[in-house]
Amino acid sequence: MTITDISHRKMFPARGNVYLPHMVVINKIIDEAPDVRTFHFNFKDKALSEKFTFESGQFGEFSVFGHGEAPFCISSSPTRPDHLECTVKRTGRLTNALHRLSVGAEIGFRGPYGNGFPLEELKGKNLVFVAGGIGLAPLRSLIWNVLDNREDYGKLDIVYGARSPADLVYKYDLASWQKDDRFNMAVTVDRGDEKWQGTVGFVPQVLEHVAPSAQDAVAVVCGPPIMIRFTFPVLDKLGFTSEQMITTLEKRMKCGIGKCGRCNIGNIYVCRDGPVFNYQQVMDLVSSEY
Amino acid sequence: MADSKKVRKEDLAGLLTEWSRDYAVLAPSRADGVARMAAWDGEDISFLDWYRNTINPVKSLFLPPVEEMFSISRNERGHRIELPPKDDTGCLVFGVRPCDARSLILLDVVFEDAYEDPYYLDRRRRSIVVGLCCTNPCDSCFCTSVDSGPAATAGMDIMFTDIGDNLLVEGISRKGKELVAGNATLAKATRTDENRARKIRLAAEKKITRKIDTGDSKERLLAVFEDESFWQQVSAKCVSCGVCTLLCPTCYCFDINDAMTGGEGSRCRSLDSCAFSSYTKMPMENPRADKWRRVRNKLCHKYEFYPMLFDNIACTGCGRCIRLCPVNWDITQVLDSLPAKHESKI
Repeated sequence: MTITDISHRKMFPARGNVYLPHMVVINKIIDEAPDVRTFHFNFKDKALSEKFTFESGQFGEFSVFGHGEAPFCISSSPTRPDHLECTVKRTGRLTNALHRLSVGAEIGFRGPYGNGFPLEELKGKNLVFVAGGIGLAPLRSLIWNVLDNREDYGKLDIVYGARSPADLVYKYDLASWQKDDRFNMAVTVDRGDEKWQGTVGFVPQVLEHVAPSAQDAVAVVCGPPIMIRFTFPVLDKLGFTSEQMITTLEKRMKCGIGKCGRCNIGNIYVCRDGPVFNYQQVMDLVSSEY
Repeated sequence: MADSKKVRKEDLAGLLTEWSRDYAVLAPSRADGVARMAAWDGEDISFLDWYRNTINPVKSLFLPPVEEMFSISRNERGHRIELPPKDDTGCLVFGVRPCDARSLILLDVVFEDAYEDPYYLDRRRRSIVVGLCCTNPCDSCFCTSVDSGPAATAGMDIMFTDIGDNLLVEGISRKGKELVAGNATLAKATRTDENRARKIRLAAEKKITRKIDTGDSKERLLAVFEDESFWQQVSAKCVSCGVCTLLCPTCYCFDINDAMTGGEGSRCRSLDSCAFSSYTKMPMENPRADKWRRVRNKLCHKYEFYPMLFDNIACTGCGRCIRLCPVNWDITQVLDSLPAKHESKI
């Protein structure tokens, strides 16, 4: 095994220095769920906006100057290049600082980093999207990407769940996807409230009930580790092979480019070699620290 | 040793002075009983007698413990970020030991990979690494077990060997050969000089008695990788102080942080260590909250993960982690204690 070749990836280093952030401006903020906000942003440099491209599943390093940097996936689709989006849960110093900002604020962005979803391999396949909580963010980029090229793909299923109705993110997307007869969607919550009339139950159980066929299919799973852990056995039962299950891994990151060290699982760096892996690749890792 | 040159010891100061015209010359210097690379004072070459190795590995010159990546200032129009002033001065580091010189070729591939690291690489490209063959290695040295040795030249541009009244001088890299070739202070070395150097090097190599078998360490580590009780035992006395990583010539992990007051500040990077649990801590979980996992990662990065990516072992046998460990954790003992492959299969 040698290091993964990533020379084909598009890079947009500012002034040729990979650590320098580009300035971006927040032009819309959406409250998604308690402590979860989506930020829409654009590059200050119009020329860069024109040439910037990314793949669904890639992420960026976001700066709130004075507070540092953190990685978030780009949750908008490259098929809708008008602006970029990221969805952030408030959990620590940087995310708190980000949540305090309002429209018009300037933040830093470098990227895109990581491998992204293997779009070419997904073409022609039936796709099963399985997401939990804010794990829908990277999948949302892929879902819009697929919907904007609908004819390239087969049957589509989405199983999405959150702890409570309030914790469901992208409610505006869910509403429009629910009405869309081009795919089958199941939304569930672990625990309902007085207004909730939808399904109640954990994502893996609902997935088992929906029972999508494994024939010519690929399942893309994103969510909290506990959900992922219980989802793989269900997919296995439904006949999905480990190559037919794709997920994204999450680790603490700083540099985003495989140098600062902390996101390693054995000999791979999640930021550089991932964050998207199929389940076979995950099982083949030297370490089970995922 | 073809084309080797020599310089009389009393002329070394003159040679360094000559090089000082084109380069900022660094040489071993001693303060408070500790050796460090410091700006050469223009005359002192006494390090030839007392110097064994610096406390900081040579990486500190290229990946400093703390450095400013850019400054940040906020005004009403937004933020302005500025790179530190560009430094075009060449730097000649005199007296780098073979273990430390080797670490540079191990670090170069990391910082050159895909996304180039401009800070490290700029300093590397401006540098001349002048090695000094080891004649008096420490008890903790085990360089000969990890593809290095007291006379190894990997990572050097020029190598000096103390042969008594003279120093033998060999150009190693193209850059180094050019620097040596045109120099009038250097005389052509004789066959006797070269033979003397050869004898001194052999004697130095014999002084390295600490030896480990690294032939199949990668496979043996892989075999015990999931054996928690082995790692619990190995890591029991570690206090997670991080000294073995921060002062390791091949450890390069870093952190990035901002410091800002009143709209002015900077983004800095500083060395970090996989020995610290904060290193991998996420809001909801930490994959290496357990000390044994951190010790396993440290050792396996050097002898298993890095070799999987770049073929070489990421250890140069400098022995700092043994000399400086407050609890006498000894990497060579741990590697020795790895079960042989056939044992672990049972």
